[in-house]
Amino acid sequence: MNLAATGMAAAVAIAVLTALLAVVVRTRTSVVGVGTALTGVAAVVAGAAALAGGSFSVVLPGVLPLSGVSLTLDPLGGLFVAVTGGVAVAAGIYSMSYADTPDLRARGVRVALPLFVVAMVLVPAAANVGTLLVCWELMALTSLVLVVAEHRRGPQVASAGRWYAVMTHLGFVSVLIGLMLFVAHTGDDSFAAMREAGRHLSPAVAGVVFVATLVGFASKAGIVPLHAWLPRAHPEAPSHVSALMSAAMVNLGVYGLVRVGVDLLGGGAAWWWLLVLALGAVSAVYGILQAAMSSDLKRLLGQSTTENMGLVLIGVGAAGLFASSGDRALAALALTAALVHVVGHAAFKTVLFLAAGSVLHATGSRDLDALGGLRPVMPVTTAAFGVGALAASALPPGTAFVSEWLLLQALIHGLPAGGVAAAIAMPVAVAAVALTAGLAVATFVKAFGVGFLAKPRSEAVAGAHESPFTMLAAMGIAAVVCVVLALWPAGILPAVQAAAGGVAVSGDVTLRLNQATGALSPLLLTLGLVAAVAVVAAVMRAAVARRVRREARLWDCGGGPMSARMEYTATSFAEPLQRVFDDVVQPELDVDVSHHEESRYLVQAVEYRRKVPDRIERRLYQPVLSVITAWGRAGRGLAPGSVHRYLGYGFYAVCGVLLLLAVTR
Amino acid sequence: MLSLWRKIRRTGRVAESAPPLPDGERPERAVVLGGSVQIRHVDAGSCNGCEVEIGSAFGPVYDGERYGARLVASPRHADALLVTGVVTRNMAEPLRRTFDAVPAPKLVVAVGDCARDCGVFAGAYGVAGAVRDIVPVDVEIPGCPPRPEAIVEGLRKLTGR
Ligand code: SF4
Repeated sequence: MNLAATGMAAAVAIAVLTALLAVVVRTRTSVVGVGTALTGVAAVVAGAAALAGGSFSVVLPGVLPLSGVSLTLDPLGGLFVAVTGGVAVAAGIYSMSYADTPDLRARGVRVALPLFVVAMVLVPAAANVGTLLVCWELMALTSLVLVVAEHRRGPQVASAGRWYAVMTHLGFVSVLIGLMLFVAHTGDDSFAAMREAGRHLSPAVAGVVFVATLVGFASKAGIVPLHAWLPRAHPEAPSHVSALMSAAMVNLGVYGLVRVGVDLLGGGAAWWWLLVLALGAVSAVYGILQAAMSSDLKRLLGQSTTENMGLVLIGVGAAGLFASSGDRALAALALTAALVHVVGHAAFKTVLFLAAGSVLHATGSRDLDALGGLRPVMPVTTAAFGVGALAASALPPGTAFVSEWLLLQALIHGLPAGGVAAAIAMPVAVAAVALTAGLAVATFVKAFGVGFLAKPRSEAVAGAHESPFTMLAAMGIAAVVCVVLALWPAGILPAVQAAAGGVAVSGDVTLRLNQATGALSPLLLTLGLVAAVAVVAAVMRAAVARRVRREARLWDCGGGPMSARMEYTATSFAEPLQRVFDDVVQPELDVDVSHHEESRYLVQAVEYRRKVPDRIERRLYQPVLSVITAWGRAGRGLAPGSVHRYLGYGFYAVCGVLLLLAVTR
Repeated sequence: MLSLWRKIRRTGRVAESAPPLPDGERPERAVVLGGSVQIRHVDAGSCNGCEVEIGSAFGPVYDGERYGARLVASPRHADALLVTGVVTRNMAEPLRRTFDAVPAPKLVVAVGDCARDCGVFAGAYGVAGAVRDIVPVDVEIPGCPPRPEAIVEGLRKLTGR
């Protein structure tokens, strides 16, 4: 057994043991947390070992009926296992004190946490369709339990759970159909056999397999238009679960896409990847636009997940497009950019969700319009969120900058490479990435500035307190990882290259990549930035020191102390953007002016309501939902509660089936 | 657009030619400003008559800006305050704070009879006093309301142009 295999075995063993402990003896919450974190550590070790070249495979035919369990960890899977493990470490430590509430102490919830993690760790290691689907479903079910863990908080939690359950299972069905069709044409459900046979599938079949699996995997990754569950489930889940879902689970959608599309089907036609690219671009822009409008902290983070997955999909789509036009080196560069973004996104989204959870824990609110003024009372959380926000907005000393820059490089260099399709798609994609990056900055300035700085906007916030040590430690770990990734991305590049190389293979990739990183050097950039800031500060100081100084009151228009009501709120901050993108987001505005009874000229109150509905959701889902509701109503007429009638249904149904058989045979 | 240009050409220049520089002493502190005075207007309790006249003093006909005086949006940007109206009780403290907010060297111009000596409102219940009772005044412009020429003349005493 090599290190990767040992790590995987340890991860599974620890997780199962923790779950058993949670069932059998009523363990403390911290034990579950430690177990989850240790599962994560084992997964990181396994993933890192696989990335370093120590892949393994095991076949356990007896474990599952029909197909048996078959696990392999190659570099691509290893990357996702390591990322999942890393997120689990932070989430596990965080849950030690965060999950110590009556709702989260429930037995089912405790059992679900380690199982969720281990299911996510096993998905990228699955080496046949059966194992993949079982782990996929286990992941969906355990996460569903965790999403509805706090269902006592209100009906919106149950509603989020319903959305999530339905959409994740529809996605599952879609993946199932795609892979079953694939297997039907290969005759063997092991990935190795499918990889062989995938090259010889007819284009039509391959296309159908690809689109079906794309639908399923995209819905898991929260890609528009299958994103509707994401901004519901992520905010309502407990925060460490949000972190796990948003930073680790959605990645597996990307994993599935790369595994099936690039690895098993071996690339395929250009239109596949143009489709992926288009979906990615739309998701990126639409996701961040919704996030920019949002005033709910966790919802905003959830929508930003859609954005980031969109960026990743742009990279994957571009990689596929380049590969289909024969430019292997560029394909590897684009795929590397996408995978680097997966890693970076996992790091900063973990920090952000954990910090948001800390705020929620301390204030009981995640409404940005009611927060503010957290810096003095929650300095560590504020610092962690600040690091995360910087990392998420693609600016030089940030994590996302590295990957988005690489992505832009790949797209720009791809212009001459790929024929007519690329000539049209690339500039549009570059524009989409640039617009997304700009909006992301605005969004995170809003989230950080309005949520944490200035004065507290509500009583609850004024009485906030810093979170317990374990929560801070978890945020700290994730924040440090963010900083390291931002300053020294070259550290993970070999690993990511190994993962990308495993599927997109080319010899001269290394050369190109080294050029790219050499030209970038975020560390130097950051040092330069720090030096520039220091110089400006010193010059200012020197200039000011020579003048006479006078202390003066803060200018508040002369009218008494400034109150929190004068501050920018999240809504007002987003207002200009909302105006600019009026046609896209179509906000619903409602201004009610009520007058005094004595005179129409005297205003009593002005009420302003704004709602930014999800347009895509309304246009696409509402009709479907209303049809389903109508069917349900119609169906209710058939079930009046009479037992005789129900027996009659059964009888006639059997007769009908028998008749059908008699006729068709 | 074209019609706008045509209109501009047809109308020509409406600003009245500059009257000679008013005599009378120029406040010492105004000299440092070098002929460019940024002004923040404070309505301390006026009937708005003075405001209308200030508006025309900076309109195209009297064009106060050509003498180096300019209205700005914050006392932090200003060299001088242009105070109109009697100082009401509610505005006494804001007026003091506005004065404090202006960076030194600073000047105060009291516009209108109300600002000079409470005018028709003298002795009324809500009145805290004339401007000079609240903050030091450098230039006074009489009239109820003062004509735009008078306002421009008063401001030229500050700019010296
Ligand atoms: S001076 Fe005359 S015009 Fe000016 S505020 Fe007083 S009453 Fe109104």
